[in-house]
Amino acid sequence: MDVARRYSQDKPVAVNVPRWRSPVWQHLRTALIYAVLLAASAFFLFPMAWMGGTSLKTIEEVGQPQLNLLPMSPQWQNYAKLFQEEQFYRAYANSIFVTAVVLFGTVTSISLVAFSFARLEWPGKRIVFALMLSTLMLPAQATLVPQYVLFFNLGWIRTFNPITIPGFFAGGAALVFLLRQFMMGIPKELDEAAMIDGANPLQIWWHIIMPLSRPAIATVTVFLFVGQWNNLINPLLYLQKAELYTMPIYVAQKHNLQESPIPWNDIMAASVLFVIPVLVVFLLTQRYFIEGITLTGTKG
Amino acid sequence: MQVALQYQLQNLGWAFATVIFIIVGSLAVAYVAKTVARWRGSTPATQRRAFWGFLFASPWIIGFVIFVLGPSLTSLYYSFTNYKLGSAIEWNGIDNYRQFILGEGAYGRRFKQAMFNSFYYAVVGVPLQIIAALGMAILLNQKIRGIRIFRLIFYTPVILAGGPAILLAWRYMLNANGGFINTAMQSLAQKFFLFDWLYRGFIFGMEAFNGLYAGLSRGDPIGPFKYAIPSLLAVLALATLAGSDWTPGKRERAIRIVEILAVTIGLILFANGIVAEPVDPLWIVAGGLLTGGMALAYTLRGRAKAARNVAIGGIVLAGVVLAGVLLHPSTEEASFDVTPYLLALAAAAAPLALSLFLPLQRRWVLAVGLGLLVVILAVAIVPQQFGGTRWQLPLRYLTLQTALEQPDSTDYLTAVYPVETPSAFWFYGALAAVLVGAMWLGTRHERARRWLVNGALVIFGLLLIGSTLDGIRYFNAFDQIAAATGSPNYHFSLFRSAISTIPDNTRVPLWLTSELWSKPALILITMWSSGASMLIFLAALKGVPQSLYEAAEVDGANRLQKFFKITLPMISPAMFYNIVIGLIAALQTFETVYILQTPNTVDSVRSAAFFLYERTFREQAIGQGASLSWILAVIIVVLTVMQFRYSRWVHYEV
Repeated sequence: MDVARRYSQDKPVAVNVPRWRSPVWQHLRTALIYAVLLAASAFFLFPMAWMGGTSLKTIEEVGQPQLNLLPMSPQWQNYAKLFQEEQFYRAYANSIFVTAVVLFGTVTSISLVAFSFARLEWPGKRIVFALMLSTLMLPAQATLVPQYVLFFNLGWIRTFNPITIPGFFAGGAALVFLLRQFMMGIPKELDEAAMIDGANPLQIWWHIIMPLSRPAIATVTVFLFVGQWNNLINPLLYLQKAELYTMPIYVAQKHNLQESPIPWNDIMAASVLFVIPVLVVFLLTQRYFIEGITLTGTKG
Repeated sequence: MQVALQYQLQNLGWAFATVIFIIVGSLAVAYVAKTVARWRGSTPATQRRAFWGFLFASPWIIGFVIFVLGPSLTSLYYSFTNYKLGSAIEWNGIDNYRQFILGEGAYGRRFKQAMFNSFYYAVVGVPLQIIAALGMAILLNQKIRGIRIFRLIFYTPVILAGGPAILLAWRYMLNANGGFINTAMQSLAQKFFLFDWLYRGFIFGMEAFNGLYAGLSRGDPIGPFKYAIPSLLAVLALATLAGSDWTPGKRERAIRIVEILAVTIGLILFANGIVAEPVDPLWIVAGGLLTGGMALAYTLRGRAKAARNVAIGGIVLAGVVLAGVLLHPSTEEASFDVTPYLLALAAAAAPLALSLFLPLQRRWVLAVGLGLLVVILAVAIVPQQFGGTRWQLPLRYLTLQTALEQPDSTDYLTAVYPVETPSAFWFYGALAAVLVGAMWLGTRHERARRWLVNGALVIFGLLLIGSTLDGIRYFNAFDQIAAATGSPNYHFSLFRSAISTIPDNTRVPLWLTSELWSKPALILITMWSSGASMLIFLAALKGVPQSLYEAAEVDGANRLQKFFKITLPMISPAMFYNIVIGLIAALQTFETVYILQTPNTVDSVRSAAFFLYERTFREQAIGQGASLSWILAVIIVVLTVMQFRYSRWVHYEV
C-alpha cells in the first residue's frame, strides 16, 4: 500500500486504474461471484434436498423418471410406516447407545492423556508422545485385521464391545493432539497456584483444566460424534446380528437389490431421520468444526 | 427390543469392567514407573512426577499395547500363514505377499485391479478434487457479505459423505435410467440449444476418454501400466538424457531424479518379465530397450561409469528373467517354446553388453545398435514367426469369438481382441522411433534435443490417438456382437452409432451400471465432498500477505500472473498436503465403494480398502488380509513420511 502511494505521489498520472476497478465493474463482479456461489451451493445442497423430497413421494412416483423435487402430495405415511417398524426403533436406540458410550469413554480418556502430555513433566514423556504421534501415520486398515482376530478370540463378535470398548483407551491420536495443543495454551500459573494450595494433578485436571478447555473438548466431541454416528465399517464387521444393527447398517440394508421396484421413498425417509442428528449437531457447532479442521488438517 | 436392551446392558457391564481395568492397570504402570525412577536414583519429586505422568498417560499406553502393538505383531505373523478363522494355522512363507505384489492367481489379480482403481482415482480424481477445492476456496476468499454461510454450505457434504444415507441418495440420483442427473441433463439438452451442444460435447469427450482408456488397456484393466506408462517413461528417460548437459543447478538435480527413476523403472520392467503369465518377452524387450538404450546413451556421452552401472543392473535382472522363464511351470509343457524368450533376452541384453565391452567408437555403436533394433522390432511385432507363444491369450480373457458364444457374459471389459492390437504396435513404434532418434541425433546439441523432445511428444500423442481409435473399434466390435446376438449391450450402448457422427442427445451416461462410467461417478461424489481440502486451501489463501499482491500490481501484473506467480507458490504447502491426503484417501475409500457398487461393476470400483474388507471379512481369509493390511500400511506410511519430509521442497518462506 505504502509503495503504491509513494509511487503515485511521484508520478500522479502514471498509475492507471484498471478498468475492473471502476465501480460499475466492481458491482458486476460482485454479482457474478454471488451467481457462482449460489450455483455451487445448489450443487452442494441438492442431494440433501432430493433426499428429503424423495422421502415424501409415492412408490409409483419414485419409480419413474422425474425432475420435480417436491412430491405431488406429501406422503407422511412413509415416516409413519418407519415409526411402526421395530427394527427402525432398535437401530436408532442402538446408534444412540453406542455413540453415547463411545463419546463418554473416549472424551474422558483422551482428556486425561492430553492433560498428561500438556501439563505434567515426567521422565519418558517425550518418547511416549513421539510414539503416539507416530500412530497418526498408521492407517485404520492396518489394525483392522489384527483387531478383528483379537475380538474374535475374546468372543466379542456379535456384541457391542468391539465398537465401544477401544474408545476407553484414548483412541484417536489426532484428537489427543488437538486437545493437548489447546491445553498447552492455558497459563501455567493456574496449576502452580493450585499445587501450592496442595491440590494433586487429578484435582487440577478436574477443577482447572477441564473447565478451561471446554471449547476444545466440544470440538473433539463433535468430531467423535459425527465419526461414530456415520461409522459403517466397524458395525458391519462386528454387529452381524439384526438385534445389534446400528442406523448406518439399517439404512444400507434397506437398499437391497432383491426388492423390485426399489422402495427409494422408504430408504430416503430412513436416511433423512438418520442424517438429522448429524446435521443439527453440525449446524449448532460448525464453528468448532471449522476451527478443528484448520488446526489439525484432519477430517475427524 | 428386549434382546437389544440385554446386549446394551451387557455392554455397559463390560464398559464398567474396562474402566476398573484401566484404573488398576494405570496404577500398576504408574507404580512401576515410580519404582524404576527410584532405582535410577531420582529425587522423590521426580519419582512423584513419574507416577502422576504415567498414571494419566496409561490409558493410551495400555490401549496401544493391547489394540495396536500386540495385534500388529500377531498380524505380522498371520501374514505369513494361511490362517482362516476357526481352522489350523499353516505357515506358508511369503506366498501371500508374492501373490499380491506379483498379481498371481485370482486374488492377486483382484488386488491388482483394486490398486489400479485406486491409481485411477489418484490420477484422474485427485486433480479434479484439488481444482474443485481450490476453486471453492478462491470464491470464498472474496471480501463480500455472507461468506460464512456459503462456507457452511460448501462444507456440509463432508460430514454427510462418510455415512450411507447421502451415498444412497447419490445412488438414486445416478440411476442411469430415469435417475435425476440423467433426466435433468437430457431435458435441459432438449430445451436449450446451447446446453444441447454442451451435453453432446460432454458425451463426446467422455466417450473419447473411455475409448482411450479401453484402447490403452487393451481390455485389460491394468493395461495402462503395461503400455502407456512404460512408453511415457521411455520418452521421459530419453528426453532427460538428451537434456542432461543443461547448466547445473536445480534443473540439473531434477533431471538426475527423473533419470534415476527411468533407470529404476527400466529395471522393474525387466523384472516384470516374470510377472506375466506366461512369462512375457514383451517386458524383457521393453526393459532391455530402456536400460540398454540408457547405457548406450551414457556411453556415447562419455559417462562410462554410469553406463556400466546401468548395464550391470540390466544384465543381472536379465539373468533373473531367464531363471524365471526356465523355472516357470508352463516351461515344462511339451508345447512350450522357449525360443522367443531366449531371442528376446538376447536382443535386450545385446545393447547392454555392447555398451560394456565394445570400444567406444560412436559410429560403430550406432550401426550395431540400429541393427539390433531391427531384430528386436521383428521379435516384438511379428510374433507369428516364433510360434505365436507370446500372443496366446490367457484363458481368463474372453475373445470376440467366446463373447459371441456367450452373449450374456458380463466379462465384456476383460475381453481383448483375439490377435495383437494396434496399441501395442504404437507403443513399440513410439519407443523405437525415440530410441533411433536418440542414437541418430546424439544428445549434445540444443537443437537436437529440442527436436528429440518434440518428436517424442508427437509420437506419444500419436500413441494416445491410436489407442483411442483402437478402443473405439473395440467398443464397436462388441456393439456388433450385441446386435448380432440380439442381446442388449448394457456396457457400451454409448457407442451404438459410429463415433464419427456427433453424439446424439438421447444417449445418456450409464454411471453405476457401466465399468467405464462408474469411476467417474465415484469421482463426482468425491468432488462434491471436497470441503475439507477447501478449508485447508482457504486457510492458506488467507495467509498470503496482501503486500505481495500490491507490489505485483505496481509492477503491472495481471490477475492470471498474480495467481500463478504469487498465489500458487504461496499455497504450495497446502496443495502438497491436500494431494498426499487425496492419494491416501484414494486407497482408503470404503463407504463410497460399499454403497455404490453393483454386481456388474464391483470390479471397476473396488478400492484397496474395499478389497481388504472383502477378502478378510467376507471370505474370512485372515492370513491374506493381514498381509494385505501390511502392504497398505507400508504404502500409506511411505506417502505420509514423504509428505513430512519432502514438503520442504515446496515454497514455504515469503
